[in-house]
Amino acid sequence: MKHRLTLPGGWPALLASWITMASAVGGLPGNEEPDFAKVAAILEHHCVRCHNGGAAKGDFSLATAADLFASEFVVPGQPNDSHLIDVITPDGDQPPRMPQNADPVPAEAVSILRDWIAAGARWPEGRELFERSRADATFWSLQPITTTESLNASATTASEIIDQLIDERLAADGLTRNPPADRRTLIRRATYDLTGLPPTPAQTRTFLKDRSPEAWSRLIDRLLASHAYGERWGRHWLDVVRFGESRGFERNVIIHDIWPFRDYVIRALNEDRPFDQLIREHLAGDVLAADDPQSTIGTAFLVAGPYDDVGNQDAAAAAQIRANTLDEVIRATSEAFLGLTVGCARCHNHKFDPITQADYYSLYATFSGVRHGSVEWATTKARQQRTARLQPLQQDQSALEQQKRELLTAILQRGREHLQQHAEHWPRPPVDRRGTEERFSPVTARFVRLVCESQDTNANAATGFTIEEFEVWSAPASPDDDPQNVALASYGSIARGVARRIEDFAGAYGPQLTIDGSTGARFLAASTTLTIELPQPERIDRVLFSSARDEERPEHGLFRFVAEYRIEVSDDGQSWTKVADGSDRQPVNQGPHLDRRLRLLETTDAEQEQIAAIDRRLRQTRQQIAQIPGLPTAWIGRRVASDAAGPFHIFQGGNPQKLGKRIHPASLHVLNPLRQRRPGLTEADLTSGEFYELDAGVPEAERRLALANWIVHPANPLTRRVLANRIWHYHFGTGLVDTPSDFGFMGGRPSHPRLLDVLANQLQTSGWRIKALHRAIMLSETYQQASTFGQEAAKIDADARLLWRFPPRRLSAEEVRDTMLDVAGRLTREPDSGPGFRLYRFLQDNVSTYVPLDQHGPETYRRAVYHQNARSSVVDLMTEFDQPDCSFGTPRRAATTTPLQALTLLNHSFTLDMAGALARRLQAAHPQALTEQINLAFALCYGRPPTEPESESCATFVKSHDLVALCRVLLNTTELISVR
Amino acid sequence: MAARNSSRLSNLCLLTRRRVLGQATTGAGSLALMNLLARDSRAQDDESADTWQPGSGRTHHVARAKRVLQIFCPGAASHMDLWEHKPALEKRNGQPLPGEENLVSFQGKNGNLMKSPWPFAAAGESGKRISTMLPHMAAHVDDIAFFHGMHSKTNTHGPGCVFMNSGHASEGFPSAGSWTSYALGSENENLPAYVAITDIRGEPPNGKANWTNGFLPARHQAIMMSNQQPIRNLQRPQQITDGTEIESRRLLQQFNTAYADTYPGESELRARVAAYELAGRMQLSAPDVADLSRESDVIHELYGTRDGNSLKAAYARNCLLARRLLQRDVRYVSLYCASRASGVDGLLNWDAHKSLKSDYERHCPIFDQPTAALLTDLKQSGLLNDTLVLWTTEFGRMPTHQAGTAGRDHNPDGFTCWMMGAGIKGCSHGATDEFGRRAEQNPTTVWDFYATVMHVLGFDHERLTWYHNGLDRRLTDVHGSVISEVLA
Repeated sequence: MKHRLTLPGGWPALLASWITMASAVGGLPGNEEPDFAKVAAILEHHCVRCHNGGAAKGDFSLATAADLFASEFVVPGQPNDSHLIDVITPDGDQPPRMPQNADPVPAEAVSILRDWIAAGARWPEGRELFERSRADATFWSLQPITTTESLNASATTASEIIDQLIDERLAADGLTRNPPADRRTLIRRATYDLTGLPPTPAQTRTFLKDRSPEAWSRLIDRLLASHAYGERWGRHWLDVVRFGESRGFERNVIIHDIWPFRDYVIRALNEDRPFDQLIREHLAGDVLAADDPQSTIGTAFLVAGPYDDVGNQDAAAAAQIRANTLDEVIRATSEAFLGLTVGCARCHNHKFDPITQADYYSLYATFSGVRHGSVEWATTKARQQRTARLQPLQQDQSALEQQKRELLTAILQRGREHLQQHAEHWPRPPVDRRGTEERFSPVTARFVRLVCESQDTNANAATGFTIEEFEVWSAPASPDDDPQNVALASYGSIARGVARRIEDFAGAYGPQLTIDGSTGARFLAASTTLTIELPQPERIDRVLFSSARDEERPEHGLFRFVAEYRIEVSDDGQSWTKVADGSDRQPVNQGPHLDRRLRLLETTDAEQEQIAAIDRRLRQTRQQIAQIPGLPTAWIGRRVASDAAGPFHIFQGGNPQKLGKRIHPASLHVLNPLRQRRPGLTEADLTSGEFYELDAGVPEAERRLALANWIVHPANPLTRRVLANRIWHYHFGTGLVDTPSDFGFMGGRPSHPRLLDVLANQLQTSGWRIKALHRAIMLSETYQQASTFGQEAAKIDADARLLWRFPPRRLSAEEVRDTMLDVAGRLTREPDSGPGFRLYRFLQDNVSTYVPLDQHGPETYRRAVYHQNARSSVVDLMTEFDQPDCSFGTPRRAATTTPLQALTLLNHSFTLDMAGALARRLQAAHPQALTEQINLAFALCYGRPPTEPESESCATFVKSHDLVALCRVLLNTTELISVR
Repeated sequence: MAARNSSRLSNLCLLTRRRVLGQATTGAGSLALMNLLARDSRAQDDESADTWQPGSGRTHHVARAKRVLQIFCPGAASHMDLWEHKPALEKRNGQPLPGEENLVSFQGKNGNLMKSPWPFAAAGESGKRISTMLPHMAAHVDDIAFFHGMHSKTNTHGPGCVFMNSGHASEGFPSAGSWTSYALGSENENLPAYVAITDIRGEPPNGKANWTNGFLPARHQAIMMSNQQPIRNLQRPQQITDGTEIESRRLLQQFNTAYADTYPGESELRARVAAYELAGRMQLSAPDVADLSRESDVIHELYGTRDGNSLKAAYARNCLLARRLLQRDVRYVSLYCASRASGVDGLLNWDAHKSLKSDYERHCPIFDQPTAALLTDLKQSGLLNDTLVLWTTEFGRMPTHQAGTAGRDHNPDGFTCWMMGAGIKGCSHGATDEFGRRAEQNPTTVWDFYATVMHVLGFDHERLTWYHNGLDRRLTDVHGSVISEVLA
């Protein structure tokens, strides 16, 4: 696809205007008075870090002339009266007051400032100073990727070049590579590396037997072609792009329909889809092919991170939350693809890397149309087909509804005409939330119940009411008797009623609250009835109930109460007798509740039948509608043009209420040859797509597309380096750059810069297909060497960063779980797509709670990549083995060793289940043959036979305990979770 | 992995010192082994013999506190109804809030000023006034440093809680307890260094993000434990007998040791053997610490563990559990009183939007006696001398009532937190304006608060860092000053 660039006018005019513009940008040497350049450098180095427009410490800024003169820090022509000189000059023995927490300004620099002030303190028009970042445009990662030809490598294949460059670097430290690993080790290494699973004993045997020179490369091809490859490497990528299946923040509601993105990643990797294509789909799949669900799902990347969906009526807070949401997208994008922490330029220019606030807010403008959420995920055709089926049914439905409405209106009309005579039967005041009493003739009963017929905030609902206390009063047997509330729990009574439930707090709104003798906490009914069982039959004559007895504002919706009700009593809890009701009270309001009464009173039997007939047909129609499957949805989010309308400004200090200068969507200035004033620029350079500057009015879709195209442009030195390094990182445990998402100043430096560029070039020649890169790396001798430890080599390079050995590793969380399932013979490979499984119970009561499961049923026996990973949740085994929380991208996982891992692996029922399954598998394969069983166990778990002593220890153990116990031990061994 | 420290590569400036240190700690879990290895590598690495190392038990300067108890009342517990007396609210009850007559806050419009439903009374020798809803807490006011000028950067519970716990309003950053675990390491190898005790009513807003290790190694996360919910996976499966367990552990140790012996130089393999030993010790220690039956009746009475109010009794038992953990030198205990914002009312936590009076008449009795008992107990036992107690909540509440309700909306601009113990002076630092609307005197940030906490623990908060995504991250972000006025 052609790179689209908005170019107003002919290019020479444009060039001229941009050069003018560029000269206004801080930090450019050149057409500036030499004196001021020196002054600027001094102020930028010593002062502007703290005293700048964004975060003016001490309430003044040195960033612009206006700032400086307004504060009277500089009095032109009078250095001695200028406070600036005062604070940076030592006062006798005392060090200068400024700068704080930093080295003093050298005397020579102070005198340059004095001279400049004495000469009139001239400040070039419009010039703003910025703190200099530690790295500038000459930083290593920003340089063009060197071509492989310039390496002069005598090696011919990529694998040979890898070995040659590794060896050269080793030799510089007097090191050499280990000899090749044995073949058992190799197949285990490669199989885990590419699939995340152990080789089967049969696969190991086949590979051991195959002595042909192509055996290794055939193995790699087989593994790369397996579905498991995408599952393993897809998981890596999901880490990088902070893929998670809950929204995060306070509510943290689970996301049901972002799994298609996971399947898309797995499929794309298995198909070896060019990675530049994948990146473009991540940022603008909906623009590239709006009607292709397999392209649009890519943009779920934008909304795969956490965001705050609580909502806020405070406009400033809402703006800040929106800015935080876009910040998350900016960070995820710049770190995943560019290996740059652009997010650090939100409040001020990046302190370490040459990234300005303008760069940051340019991305802000680019993503400004992005809103999180679920959308229909279907082709236009599918949409049309569904509409065609729905339309006639929906027409039927509205006709029926209309019919019913007319009927009800007529009834109500009649009722209103008869209002006067009905109202005569309503002498009592309406129910009162502060206390409603019913008195009746004394009756002896064991059970008393309140049956709600209509709730007072919704005339058509008979549930959802609240009761804080329900009192049942005894009828005095004699005048001396004091009546008492026999409903109290302390009296021995029990309250029953279906209440709103919160799973992690039993009884939160339970019926027991109505008889606890205190107000303030309420039973919240989820059915129509509250029943009190008395300890024994009592003679009673009165009930009193309330929902807001002591409340200042009983009218608040929180205290929903009954509007229409009856009170019934029973001896046995089976047959009930009504003793009171509210039908002779005035209705609670003159609106819906009055209407409800009038309708009930006026409807004739014939009308009742008519209504029932309409309702039957309505039910049928609704069922038919429900049977038409809905369109699939996916968490791709919406792209909202009005949000993206702009204009966009820098937020000073990151505060949306403090607008700085206006910005427009553009590529990073440090990689823009115009802004960097690269000599010898030609027209071709300007239109190559190597950089872009878009008009602020360009639609948001084009902004994203321009960004995507620029990110994967061949001239972009970062993207391929970052991607190649990630692949190396996953093969060897550490990248050539050991901070895979940070290629900036604070990140690591490449251990093998030339090798990194070789790999980046390899990506270009293979058309961004990464399977070729896997092959190149794995066919190298460097990859195939043994992991044998060397005391001497370790003294020089303990971590084997230089690769004098293959670095052994512990399995990842997913691999540990998958391995346990696999060796036990319980891993189900289908479904290998679709909604994920859960190792937690998802609870929701306004916010969400994720409760880890004590038992993992067979429905969870899928590969861990299909687990629905929720944010801020803890999942047994996975969390302990360093599966990251997906709040951030995780470019590099930790591999810790902790007692909690031991506790989970020893004691969680999952281990015991797997131990049992493994034991059954061994017995089934070799009934009654313990030695064979032990051999098979070792083959499955470690890919090797047991040694004599191992076999003996196992046999002895099984004889005094059992095979399941042995399997539990094996599943806990270090060797099981180690790859060498 | 600690052996990384010995890496000496000519010409190859691969890792800065800080990253070596950071990643040295990711590998090993056995703290004893970890410390041993750290010492070894220090010995080898002469340049850094004096460099402070996290988790080594050493501090930047002399520490006043060895451990921290953080009591957290989620839901934004109202400063002007609990801790900070506002006579002007009483005088101007029912009048508009001057200058903010049309205030729109988190949930919407606000009404007029609303006085606290309960009087405040002078307490202690200092005569500090606190709400009469907290009669037991009144006994401690002389020992408490109140930070009345707190303000937050968010008015939403989830981010607010996470901010109050981690110094960052977005999730994924390590909590203060995790930083402490990272900085200090564990003192008791048989128990986790950091424990989060949740309320019987559930988890606080944003749940486990409040005690996460974030990007710090997994062993710095809090272990969840409470009287109602023991540590997960601590119990051996019932099917496994004593004898089988002992023999299984022996065989496992034999295999794992043999494997480690095959690959000398790979310390992680030895660490794994040690991790299983530690796990075994934890299995013995943790049930013991959770066994409240060993406490006297006097203690149970003091805390209210047998109170008729089941929520109060449950919190009281968690308070007692907290003391037992601190007593055994758990480094950081986060104790929650209440849970999340409910979908219905203000009864799950301190988020009193609609009916402040009846809500707090439920919450205060749950909180008051057990908390005060815990403080008394810590004091009597001497633990308070080197235990820093924090009381926190995510932000405050408005001096006005919310339109149409008798509750208060969220107020991020002013609220109260407090500290006690470990040499903290009883005092009031900072204040909100006359109505409680905004921090006015000595405005204090969450970062200042934690800069002070870290100072008391012996650390310079600016030097306690971990490299993550482009920056050396800190608990205090890029802010924070120690509030020395509260230090003895």
